[in-house]
Amino acid sequence: MTTALASPPPGLPSPEAESRGFRRLEWRILRTRLAQGFALSRLRYALVIGLSVLLWFGLYYLVWDGFSFMKEKLELRLHEDLVQDIFNAFFFALFLMLIFSSGVILYGSLFRGGEVRCLLTMPIREERIFQHKFQHAVLLSSWGLILLGSPMLVAYGVVARAPWYYFAMVLPMLIAFVFIPAGIGAVLLLAVMYLFPRKRVHLLTLAIAVLLASAVWFFWSLLSRPDTDLFTPRWFLEMRQRLQLAQGSSLPNWWLSSGLLEAAGDTWSEGLMFLVLLIANALFFRELAGMFAARVYRTAYCEAAGLASPPARVQTGWFDRTLDRCLGFLSPPLRLIIVKDVRLFRRDPLQWSQFLVLLCLLLLYFTQVHPVTYVTHLSQWVNIVSFMNLSVVGLLMSTFTTRFVFPLVSLEGRRFWLLGLLPVKRESILWAKFLFSVGCLLAPCGLLILLSDWRLGVPAVLIVEHQWTSLLLCLGLSGIGVGLGARLPLITEQSPSRIAAGFGGTLNLVVSTLFIVLVLALSTAPFHIHVARQMALSYPLGDAVPVFQVAVRSWLIVGSLAGPAVSAVAALLPMWIGIRAFRRQEFH
Amino acid sequence: MIEFDLVVRRFGPTVAVNGLALTIPPGELFALLGPNGAGKTTTIRMLVGLLQPNAGQVRVCGVDCSRNPREASSHLGYVPDEQYLYEKLSGRELLEFTGEMHGLDKAATRERIARETQRFDLAGFLDNLTETYSHGMRQRLVFAIALLHDPQVLVVDEPMVGLDPRSARVVKDLLRAEARAGKTVLMSTHTLAVAEEIADRIGILNRGQLDFLGTLAELRQELSAPHQALEHLFLELTNGHASPDAKELFP
Repeated sequence: MTTALASPPPGLPSPEAESRGFRRLEWRILRTRLAQGFALSRLRYALVIGLSVLLWFGLYYLVWDGFSFMKEKLELRLHEDLVQDIFNAFFFALFLMLIFSSGVILYGSLFRGGEVRCLLTMPIREERIFQHKFQHAVLLSSWGLILLGSPMLVAYGVVARAPWYYFAMVLPMLIAFVFIPAGIGAVLLLAVMYLFPRKRVHLLTLAIAVLLASAVWFFWSLLSRPDTDLFTPRWFLEMRQRLQLAQGSSLPNWWLSSGLLEAAGDTWSEGLMFLVLLIANALFFRELAGMFAARVYRTAYCEAAGLASPPARVQTGWFDRTLDRCLGFLSPPLRLIIVKDVRLFRRDPLQWSQFLVLLCLLLLYFTQVHPVTYVTHLSQWVNIVSFMNLSVVGLLMSTFTTRFVFPLVSLEGRRFWLLGLLPVKRESILWAKFLFSVGCLLAPCGLLILLSDWRLGVPAVLIVEHQWTSLLLCLGLSGIGVGLGARLPLITEQSPSRIAAGFGGTLNLVVSTLFIVLVLALSTAPFHIHVARQMALSYPLGDAVPVFQVAVRSWLIVGSLAGPAVSAVAALLPMWIGIRAFRRQEFH
Repeated sequence: MIEFDLVVRRFGPTVAVNGLALTIPPGELFALLGPNGAGKTTTIRMLVGLLQPNAGQVRVCGVDCSRNPREASSHLGYVPDEQYLYEKLSGRELLEFTGEMHGLDKAATRERIARETQRFDLAGFLDNLTETYSHGMRQRLVFAIALLHDPQVLVVDEPMVGLDPRSARVVKDLLRAEARAGKTVLMSTHTLAVAEEIADRIGILNRGQLDFLGTLAELRQELSAPHQALEHLFLELTNGHASPDAKELFP
């Protein structure tokens, strides 16, 4: 019951003509998007490009520094082996993630959504529809690899003084590599949807569980405390042992890393051989997936479309009742709106699952940091690492507010016929969202920082200061998210991710980042310097010590007052702007 | 010609279409009616290749829609109830893409775009991005897309929703004209007055089965209500399955 069995109908286009038609379609859409983007969203495009360039060069510098350090400190053979291990591990992790992410993206684009529903009613080969969506999936799931992988590989080439053809091979190798896991992910998805359409949710859950367990195990094995001090030869050997898993010569990540290292080592023929090997496998998996799609895609689509969704019955649970009781001190409208928002958030796993994964990874990392790892050689690191952990948690919270809090007001757009007709002041709606956001941020933020501080064994004064800072960050980030969300809403858009990806979301992320930097610089940095001095750590201060002491003390006093002031302004000013805009907002 | 040959389609334990046997010959405008959940959309989706029957066959111009969906869809023009348009393409670009996928050469595509532009009065907005179109404009463009390749069979799901009176008139005239030109037209609708006005035959689906198949006059005769409107007849035929509360609210 597949098209592959039927003879091609007369008068319909050849595969090449179909392919040309789709290429023209893609090009026209891309051209329009770019033209619109540069005409209407210049700031957004400039920010995205600027921040990407900044990130690229930041990563490049970090990796360049790391490779230079390794080249300087390690003997040549050990250095080469370690670089191969690092490349292997990095690309192995990406290989597994790309199989999964391309499968998930293809599930959304091949089995849900209006475009394929429209294309399947036209006389188009199933293989062509598949290839069209497959290329999108490859692009979507691999841009991160290019952004993260290319600075690392270029930095290595610069440090290793690689010949020109190494740099020429980097991009083709990365692109060819990406097609292999994407093709495997596509074949696995089609097989699941064709053979076990009714078990797809169970299998997806199982795959997520296996992936998470593998990630936890992999990170645990990497991050668990080594039996020796950092950066000693024994430490390097121990790390190499832990990376053995990713070194199989039949794995594409090994071909990629070997090909790159051979090219960097002046053996262009070996590099070229690995490039050809990668391209051949990329084409094989792409063709395999296309042929498989030609045979099973329509049947799998019809099976998936024919599955009855189980009725999603819900009832007020203990959580809602407890929350309602806990919020008893608030006015009923505020309380009801907060409970409604919590319910909506809880019942949409797509909303919180990615955040939960990030949170779990940080939790895992924080449980693994231990002062003993640092004290032997680099005791001042405890102070620095605790500060960096606080910064990372703050930045994670800013992505949370951009992704989840900023879209809250926009998402009410189409539902405003309900909220807008209730006897509730409009500003109450915004304050309810502000409190919802503070509540959602405060617990994970505070607990993560507490865990990190406890594991690192930082002084009590710093623990208190970090908790205070996390409160300031949560208040400010919530105010920025809700206020800007009300000032720059996209009321016709129903997808939170698209709202977050718009101009307002980008601005929210930038303002939030600046706010975090400011609060940390004003409120937290002087505490760390002060504590570091009290811990009698060495500073290359010389004669400047008295001046430095006065400066730190002044910074401490000014920062203690300015930090809360900045947080109050960040919370209240956007809220005030947002409330004014929200009062005037018309909902169509 | 459209043929449903003892077609069964299940969704889990629910039988959405149960042994549907129906033939719609060329030159007929057939209205498929039924309450929500009766199986109309499932029937249409099997016809256009978005669902496959669990039993029986669906054929378009003699081509099995499950075995050879590509050829079957080349004979079909489909106007769905929820229209998907590429928002970043203009109406003309979308028509060109459709023509190309149906194997029309450039000259033929240009000629037919001009024909549909005139028929549906698209000239004022054809080169604008479809994201700027109103519902009526979108509906007219979708009709133009469905008819661009001169299909033998036209399938229309809820054609009147959101149309202003003038556009509704245009659509009704068009459907009649297509049937007069010898094409097979299948229209699924809740707008009973339209079915009453333009359909040659009516099929009333209820719980996956055809409760009635015939002309309006035959329906009146069957229910012994010679002067009643289709709305009254439809409610009488289908209300037996409604709950007592629903009957009270919607008698």
